[in-house]
Amino acid sequence: MIKTGLKGSKTVYTFPGTEKEAKNRIKWRENVVAYTFLGPALLLLLLFLIIPAIMSVYYAFTDYYLLTPDTRKFVGLDNFINLFKDPIFLKSLANTLKFVVWVIPLQIGAALGLALLLNKQRKANTFFKVAYFSPVVMSLVVISVLWLYLLNPNEGIINNVLTYFGVSAQPFLTSPKQAMFTIVFVSAWQGAGFQMLIFLAGLQNIPGDVYEAAQLDGMNKWQRFIYITLPLLKPTSIFIFITTLIGAFKLLVQPMVMTQGGPVNSTMTVVYYIYQTGFTDRMVGYASSIALLFGTIIGLVTLAQRKLVKEEDD
Amino acid sequence: MRRKFGPLTILEYICLVLLAVLFIFPLFWMIASSMKPEAEVYNNMNSIKAFLPSFHPSDWFISYKQVLTRFHLLGYIINSLFYGLCVAAGSVIINGMAGYAFAKLNFNGKRVLFGLLLALLIVPLETILISQFTIVHKLGLVDTRLAVILPALAGAFNIYLFRNFFMAIPAEIIESAKLDGANTWQIFLRIMLPMSKPAVATVGTLAFIGSWNDYIWPLMVLTDKSKFPIQVAITAINSTEPVYTNQVMAVLTISTIPLILIYIVAQRYILEGIGGSGTGIK
Repeated sequence: MIKTGLKGSKTVYTFPGTEKEAKNRIKWRENVVAYTFLGPALLLLLLFLIIPAIMSVYYAFTDYYLLTPDTRKFVGLDNFINLFKDPIFLKSLANTLKFVVWVIPLQIGAALGLALLLNKQRKANTFFKVAYFSPVVMSLVVISVLWLYLLNPNEGIINNVLTYFGVSAQPFLTSPKQAMFTIVFVSAWQGAGFQMLIFLAGLQNIPGDVYEAAQLDGMNKWQRFIYITLPLLKPTSIFIFITTLIGAFKLLVQPMVMTQGGPVNSTMTVVYYIYQTGFTDRMVGYASSIALLFGTIIGLVTLAQRKLVKEEDD
Repeated sequence: MRRKFGPLTILEYICLVLLAVLFIFPLFWMIASSMKPEAEVYNNMNSIKAFLPSFHPSDWFISYKQVLTRFHLLGYIINSLFYGLCVAAGSVIINGMAGYAFAKLNFNGKRVLFGLLLALLIVPLETILISQFTIVHKLGLVDTRLAVILPALAGAFNIYLFRNFFMAIPAEIIESAKLDGANTWQIFLRIMLPMSKPAVATVGTLAFIGSWNDYIWPLMVLTDKSKFPIQVAITAINSTEPVYTNQVMAVLTISTIPLILIYIVAQRYILEGIGGSGTGIK
């Protein structure tokens, strides 16, 4: 019998063997219990995250075609060389960057603006908050399909309103020039409400007496915003910036549902292209090389975020 | 002293209202269009009528009846509920167990595994979709419900969240439970989980929402329509001729109702989970 006993109390061992053996036995038992608790999570992470990630890296250097796995062979850097000669990949990279560059200021700016507007005692605030937050509640598929109807060039309500105000009807998603900007707008529209709430929480954490002191020192509203609100909002802003950035890099559902990457690949994104080459065209090797390249970039950005946030905390 | 209704205040309210219209009009249009005959949807586009349901209440639910008979909508909703509940319950148990081990149990390799866990937070899931699919393919799970559920269960972030919550539970409580003869499993189920209700609610809710909204993964692993979750069904319905706007809007509305309910009930936990953790991932 083993009595594991209380910490600090004198444990009595009533089985043969030295005290050291007993300790080893307890330790072994502790390990068995702990790994039983870790087991399911470890197994699932291994199967669906760690092994796929390692496989991705390996496949990137092979010509793996899903339907002929037996003829798979190592091709060195061929995939990566082809990648930079592939006009659709280069286009998807440019499109993704274009999306990131436009959606970040638009979405974060909107979120901050809404939060500042709401950061005030007002009876109707709950109503406005719910209104701004409402797009967050809808799934990406739902908002993509919904906007497809709203933006219909002929019958859509947006063009009806535009023509009512004397603006000519726009092609939106059917134009290579406008399609990506339309997706930028829809994405920012959907995401801003959520970040507004995070900004609002950040704003409400700023103690009121800081503002009072500044007011006594003769600072006007604008100065208080620049010298107090913005610096104190920095940790929140960094968090929002990085999470939006990473999310924006992974753009997939909106172009998939709204434009299928068109017209003329103007909304093809990197993750969508990974899906198309790897899943639709079954060129697993080639898709993996894109995934490896792009995953590394996103991974580095995430790592930078941790460093930044840590410095903020210290 | 500023007057109560200065010009600035009025300007503020105009901004607030115009922005509210911008953010909420699609939702209104979606619901209103689902509650009128197809011919009326594109009438009166320039009047407030576009945002009002039919003036005949008997017309309100016709499109709903039509989609419910044309498509196995109820089946898709039940599928989504099933996937969502399995993923939510599974996430809480599996990640909770692992979080408990990291927080309160001693074992060999703890530091290494915890380091690995933190490293896993960086892996962008979207980029390994293809090799995840090849794994599911090799396991013979393609076109099974398990293929939708299993990969969604374990998550590094959720394990980390549970671990942080469990760390805060004092050791004395665990010791006294041990004295009362409770084993590790009982301690986990009767003490750790009940004492961490916010963590359970956060992980459960976010897992459900994530599963409900997931599109690309079920689209990849399922081919049998009867197993489709609602999100995949939406795009299938939207491309099944003849496409009627009022019917599509009815489907969109139905698929959004569960989410609205969840956001109302669990809003506190959802915010704490993502937003409130603010600098959560350290």
